[in-house]
Amino acid sequence: MKFLLSLAWKNLSRYRRRTTITAVALAVGVAVFIWMDGWLLGAELESRRNIIWYEAGAAKVLNREYLEQIQSLPLKQVVEDPAGVERALAGLGLEATRRAVFSGELFLGEGSLFVKAVALDPATDGRVFRLEETVRQGRFLQAGEAETLLGEWLARDLGAAVGDWVTVRARSRFGAFQTLDLQIVGILNCPNPIINQGTIFLPLDLADQALELEGAVSEIALAFPEWQEPEARLGEIRRALAGFPGLAVADWQELARDFLAIAEGKRAGTGMLLLLIFIIAAVGISNTMLMAVYERVREIGMMRALGMRDLSIRLAFLLEAGGIGLIGSALGLVLGAALNWYMVRWGLDLSAFIGDMQVGYRVHSVFRSAWNPQALVGAVVFGVLASMLISFIPSSRALRKRITDCLRHV
Amino acid sequence: MIRPALAAALLLAAAAAFTQSAEEIVRRLEANQRFRTQEAEGTLIITDRFGSRTKTFLSYAEGQERMLLAFTNVEEKGQKILRLKDEIYLYFPEAEEVVRLQGAALKESVMGSDFSYEDLTGEKSLLDLYEVHLAGRELLAGREQFLLELKARTRGVAYPAQKLWVDVEEYLPRRAEYYALSGRLLKTLEVLEVRRVGGRSVMSRAIMRDAMKKNSSTEFRMQRVKLDEPLPKNIFSLEALSW
Amino acid sequence: MKLAALAFRNIRRNRRRSLLSGAAIALAALAITFMFSWLSGILGDYRYNVVHYLTGHVRLRNAEYQANERLNPLHLSVAGSRELVARLEAEPLAAAVAPRIQFATAIYREEQTFGALGLGVDFPREEKFMQTAGSLSEGRLPRMGQREALLGAGLAGEVGVGVGERITLLGKNKYLGMAGMSFTVTGLARFPVSGFDRTFLLVPLDMAQAMLKMQDEATEVLLLARQEREAGELAARAGRILAEAGRGEVEVRPWDRIGMLVSLIRGIDVMYNFIALFFFILGTTVIINTTMMVIFERLREIGTVAALGMKPGEIVRLFFLEAFYISVISAFLGVLLGSAITLLLSRTGVDLSRMLAGVDFEVSAVIRPRLSIRSTVLVFLYSVAVSTLASFLPSRRAARVQPVEALRSI
Repeated sequence: MKFLLSLAWKNLSRYRRRTTITAVALAVGVAVFIWMDGWLLGAELESRRNIIWYEAGAAKVLNREYLEQIQSLPLKQVVEDPAGVERALAGLGLEATRRAVFSGELFLGEGSLFVKAVALDPATDGRVFRLEETVRQGRFLQAGEAETLLGEWLARDLGAAVGDWVTVRARSRFGAFQTLDLQIVGILNCPNPIINQGTIFLPLDLADQALELEGAVSEIALAFPEWQEPEARLGEIRRALAGFPGLAVADWQELARDFLAIAEGKRAGTGMLLLLIFIIAAVGISNTMLMAVYERVREIGMMRALGMRDLSIRLAFLLEAGGIGLIGSALGLVLGAALNWYMVRWGLDLSAFIGDMQVGYRVHSVFRSAWNPQALVGAVVFGVLASMLISFIPSSRALRKRITDCLRHV
Repeated sequence: MIRPALAAALLLAAAAAFTQSAEEIVRRLEANQRFRTQEAEGTLIITDRFGSRTKTFLSYAEGQERMLLAFTNVEEKGQKILRLKDEIYLYFPEAEEVVRLQGAALKESVMGSDFSYEDLTGEKSLLDLYEVHLAGRELLAGREQFLLELKARTRGVAYPAQKLWVDVEEYLPRRAEYYALSGRLLKTLEVLEVRRVGGRSVMSRAIMRDAMKKNSSTEFRMQRVKLDEPLPKNIFSLEALSW
Repeated sequence: MKLAALAFRNIRRNRRRSLLSGAAIALAALAITFMFSWLSGILGDYRYNVVHYLTGHVRLRNAEYQANERLNPLHLSVAGSRELVARLEAEPLAAAVAPRIQFATAIYREEQTFGALGLGVDFPREEKFMQTAGSLSEGRLPRMGQREALLGAGLAGEVGVGVGERITLLGKNKYLGMAGMSFTVTGLARFPVSGFDRTFLLVPLDMAQAMLKMQDEATEVLLLARQEREAGELAARAGRILAEAGRGEVEVRPWDRIGMLVSLIRGIDVMYNFIALFFFILGTTVIINTTMMVIFERLREIGTVAALGMKPGEIVRLFFLEAFYISVISAFLGVLLGSAITLLLSRTGVDLSRMLAGVDFEVSAVIRPRLSIRSTVLVFLYSVAVSTLASFLPSRRAARVQPVEALRSI
């Protein structure tokens, strides 16, 4: 076996050009596959992230009645003891943040609009939500200040700018009318259109005072890494909150049923792309592999003439092919991972190409990828296996010929 | 020369008027607006940024708990709002069922006006909800008014603070201001006309304005008011809605 | 001897090699052709949905409606809709005309209310737009003049109402007064966009007009052009018709100038172009490596031919021609096959509904790949260019090698 391995290795370095060419072809194929898969996954996750990162978190702890009437945002139905809930959930390894949600009328100058108002805790909101990243002008909120953040489309509709003062008219937890004067300190552009269009944010402590919350909140939003499959976690959370009978736990899917991206169907459509990449890559390497082996029929004949057993020859070629596959896949893996890392970390901002924003609202134009370990492993495995498989055919054919025919082959 | 007894009596009367407490004023105010039955033809003029719209209606009320509004203007002809204690029912000629409003729906405004369905319900006296304080007297359109300041006693009162101008002669409100928790003025009510019907005074024209919006108001007028006269039988029932 | 003839002979002589390199080029061309068609199909599907469900190719609305869109202002309507529709239908460029009333409504059933988007439509006219008859999953379409309604299947599920049952719609009429009318649900529909499924409610236009007190009015009139590219011209003609009728308050917009949707489509388009770029890179790699392999494998041949007196320039041209012929034929075949598959699938459509697993009330997403100049001619030219260029460099290098060296390398 050692002999075969060293033979394979020697051959690889002997036919450097061929090795390089095939390996490069494979590398590009693997890299593009990884990159594309990451992008598609990112796109699929995008619509879900829109919900998780900006609206729902992975799950929420809410008053049972609130959940039933959630469309009307009843501030009356609160989580009375958020500290107690948080204590009960400590040790489960979750991130949590408190929010109070209510509806109100927003006044600026002569205009007014009905909005959804979210009061958040600037210190802990970032543990569950990524709102802060979406601030485009001005800054994020600071606790204790009479300030607010507006979605970009909302600001545009109202003609509002950072520094303007707005007034929100709403009703307190107990139904009394209240007005809040807030200064706009930031404008955000978030991939979630609902937020961009009709939501304002303000500090929780301010809302607590103004709306007579007395420490209660509308929801405690939770984040945990297994958000894609939340059932197990939910069971855990529910058990931990057994002492709070009036509360319910809802995961993001339940909370965001209405907001299903129109592009959900896109996902299946783009799966076809992966298939095509697969085909092209397979074609690429099989081509060169086939050619390479066919060119070495004479060599095979010589080896046979020298007494090497068929099985050994086959194995030798298999190992060689596997070697090429490994080199190519490894290269491709590094390249693909690098590309993917860039896309995950920074994303691709195509806004320059999307161009003229005067036509309408600015659409989210940064495309982000996601990590898919299965794809990474799968691509490498595929690369190696495919290379080995493909070399099988021509080497088999050569082995079936008569030795003299092999030697005569040109 | 005024006879001492008469002078004393006059003085006492004057003193009594002066020392009348805020609570008593409110009690008289509310008593004045209580009728066994009331029947009227009314008009609502609703104004907002898009312009004015006029709605006409017939209204029937019995005590504090039952009320029926039947719209007679072209656009909403045949629509009815029935209030039974704390419940509101809506009837539409083109609907095959009666709609019962509950919960959040009660906070919606009636016909886009500055009144909500919630404003139509509730029989509690102001004294149950507010602490009242007599702040003095003012002149409004040449008539003397008691100026009352109201502060909510408990949480959950929709308007945590109010100012009420009550006519000293008629004990009817002439003006009201409604404030939010922050002290911001939310709405104002102005009574523009008071009429005498069967020996009592009724508000026949009033206008409610949203103080936070530029052009948002609801004017309401009552014509042909009949008080304490018998009403058609069973008028405050769900069945009667479809008549 | 003529190089061309020699080239052909070489091709035929070494069938296996020619086939291998040809196959690689053909497959790459096929895959890329299909990919472009596929992406085009997805984008086309999206555009189709926008045009047929939301905006038409041209949309007529009251000029002031847009600014107040949030409030759903029924009084900012298109009056005299009947006559206007008649005039527009007389315009030859208009393939279909549909007046609509869009209104926010609450479905009242068993003392509960559910928000929905109401659409008063002219069902026979709407057929060309929403293909309502084809979307029926249960029951039948409402008849004009009857108080019958068609609900999105998702909406019906949420409200808990089935075919044959009654609902009452509540809303605000044109005069901002209350509006209420009962309807019998005659059918449920599955719309190709899941969001619509959960919010759309269709009633006959005349019933909506009666309920909302809109006499012969609509909130918008949509037009379909015979072909997408005629949309601009159709918009211009519609504008003229309106001017002639003295209807200055009605604004005409071609679909690609309606704000947010355009940006969204543009965004997706850019993303796809980017993906296409990577496909090209991959395809190029495959073609290059194949061609290079071929050249290098034939070094001996080059050596022999050079030893026999062929000039370097001629050698290069010979190999160039061979590569050129192979690439022309294979690229042609590849594009042809790709187009054939596309045409076949475009007729039947590719039904992806089974792949959209786990989402409630999801509807079939049928993708129809579409051919275009880009996916055929461009890919053909590109493949030929790349493969012939790819043969250029190595052939030049090979031609410069001394015959002796070349003969020695095996």
